[in-house]
Amino acid sequence: MSSALPWIIKYRPRTIEDVVNQENAKNAFLNWLENWDKPGQKKAALLHGPAGCGKTSLVEAVAGSKGYQLFEMNASDFRRKSDIENIAKIAAQTSGLTSKRKIILLDEVDGINARADEGGIEAIIELINASKNPIVMTANNPFSKNLFPLRQNVLEIPMKRLSETHVVTALKKICGAEKIECSDEGLREIAMRSEGDLRSAINDLQAIAETYGKVTLDLVKSLATYRDRQYAPYEALQRLFNAKYVFQAKDALTSTDLDYDELFLWLNEHIPTYYEDPEEVARAYEALSRADVYYGRIKRRAQWDLLSYMYDMMGPGVAFARKVYKYRFKPFKAPSRKKQLSETKRSREVREALAEHLATRLLTSKATVKAEVIPYLQVIFKYNPRYAARIAKGYSLSEEHINWLAGSKSLEVIGYLKKGERAREKGRGG
Amino acid sequence: MSEIELLWTEKYRPRTLDEVVNHSEIVARLKKFVSDKNMPHMLFAGPPGTGKTTMAHCLAHDLYGDNYRQYILELNASDESGIGVIRGKVKEFARTRVVGNVPFKIILLDEADNMTADAQQALRRLMELYTASTRFILIANYPSKIIEPIQSRTAVFRFTPLKREDVVERLKYICSNEKVKCHEDALNTIFELSEGDMRRAINILQASVALGEATVENVYKVVGLAHPREVREMIQLALSGNFAEARNKLRTLMITYGLSGVDIVKQIHKEIFSSDIKIPDEIKIVIADLVGEIQFRLVEGADDEIQLSALLARLALIGKKFKPG
Repeated sequence: MSSALPWIIKYRPRTIEDVVNQENAKNAFLNWLENWDKPGQKKAALLHGPAGCGKTSLVEAVAGSKGYQLFEMNASDFRRKSDIENIAKIAAQTSGLTSKRKIILLDEVDGINARADEGGIEAIIELINASKNPIVMTANNPFSKNLFPLRQNVLEIPMKRLSETHVVTALKKICGAEKIECSDEGLREIAMRSEGDLRSAINDLQAIAETYGKVTLDLVKSLATYRDRQYAPYEALQRLFNAKYVFQAKDALTSTDLDYDELFLWLNEHIPTYYEDPEEVARAYEALSRADVYYGRIKRRAQWDLLSYMYDMMGPGVAFARKVYKYRFKPFKAPSRKKQLSETKRSREVREALAEHLATRLLTSKATVKAEVIPYLQVIFKYNPRYAARIAKGYSLSEEHINWLAGSKSLEVIGYLKKGERAREKGRGG
Repeated sequence: MSEIELLWTEKYRPRTLDEVVNHSEIVARLKKFVSDKNMPHMLFAGPPGTGKTTMAHCLAHDLYGDNYRQYILELNASDESGIGVIRGKVKEFARTRVVGNVPFKIILLDEADNMTADAQQALRRLMELYTASTRFILIANYPSKIIEPIQSRTAVFRFTPLKREDVVERLKYICSNEKVKCHEDALNTIFELSEGDMRRAINILQASVALGEATVENVYKVVGLAHPREVREMIQLALSGNFAEARNKLRTLMITYGLSGVDIVKQIHKEIFSSDIKIPDEIKIVIADLVGEIQFRLVEGADDEIQLSALLARLALIGKKFKPG
């Protein structure tokens, strides 16, 4: 028995017919691919669904069957400029009469981290707009906030979790091809534990079959582990704060598809809800703040080696801040920082715009304007509307700026400003 | 009464080296550069509001005349998004030659000490690359944060905090020019509150006059309004064990007032030693040490809210131990 190739590669679907249980997605995808360059069609497609349901396989199988040349790129590589340029070059070529048609596949676009891969999503949108070839993307979680700017540019094609029966059928085929004795119960057990993830099922099958030369229910039960599934953020927190061992705390963190920034946001929100004792809160925050220090070092110096220390601090570090172990259950509550930030977004934008507006005039930075100029302007605008109106004129401040600076006095300021303008017009007329 | 008013920091900013009233040694050396029509790369270092940027503009004005701004490239390290952007702008700017008899153009890089060491290395290469056609004036609050290779390639000018008589003199000049009555003791109070920062002093003066008159009372009122007491309230809440409320205040400070984490940390440091904060002095020293550590972390790129929350959680713990009774 050869173990040269992982079976998940050896038994990839070669033709469209090999892709099982995804009829709707298949039809939608083929239909889009035939018409993608017609007016009104989206230039890119996004296949999304749970891990191991056949997203990449579908694209590969279609390319194989229909004679496309496939250019594949893991989207997380989008942080490298040279890679973007290479793929952009390929995308910009039109296929000639003799050359094969091309498909550009960007795998796992939800793996792009908005902060660490700054500009990644923008680069993809640019690529889509410039491309003369169809672009296909895959994602587990299409609702990831990082993908938000992409979603209006793409045709979304959902793919569903595979049923147990389909997983069993696929496993049976492999058993036949490898000439391995596989019991039906054993395969069903693997399929059940895979929760519709064909890739993990095939991996389990290969692990057992290569070790024992056969697959039985007992072997499966003793060997196949449950794979980590993606948990909703609040479930992950529940597991973290109730972890009894270090590994459970670490697993809890990696069991969600939250990115690092979001993990910090959720933990920051929930340390004071899960812990009441000030000592527990302080210890948990000590750990979280150390994790944050590591995260900062990782980002600034690209020291990704440090990631495991960050996890140690934010997982076990936070979980073992408790003085006594007890089961802790808190109802679902999303981080409020996000909400607060979005509620005050407009106001912060106005302040930012005002700071920029004044910075050039005052020969200083926006930060200095915000800290050293705007507070005094606010005093003037709130306490002396008539005088404020003259300053507003001097710096051509907009009504939005004035509203922001003067608050409840803004109507008075604007009143004086308009009075001044009328007086001037009159003066000019007479 | 004129219809348009400007901020007095702009209105009374010196436009030429002759108008600069203090830092006479620096002015003398810069005037020499103007008459030679030659100058080295320079580093202006000193606390905020001591006239570094103004001096650079005066120098450029005297070199190139009233339209000097077309011969200088003004960059602010804390506003630019990275060394890549700076490199692009410098390259573009250095490409065109100067018309007239000054053989170089000036690149003014403000808040250069906000750049990382790596970015400063890249900057150093830029300075060498474009030495033939440009001169750099770097402006920094903390010269120690400028890497040595740059310090050694620049003439360093140190700006000291302004002296009481310089500030009060200037404020008096402004008052008489504006034809407003300013009390001597009010001007002295302004100096004390501004800590030698001319920009802050003039801003306080203008806002006090806007309240009616520059009296000691109005000066304190302005400073109180402009610098809210939320920080002290936040500390008190944390020390009383109310972490959740303290953190809400923290968010208000960051989101509503737009203060940065470092701003808040610095204010906490000041407030801790106030007599209103009722904890033993030796504990205040421990807290100061904690605060310093947090400030360092923030400067190194850590997250404002997480680090400050951690600090508040520690304060809550300390407060619990020292609660009266």
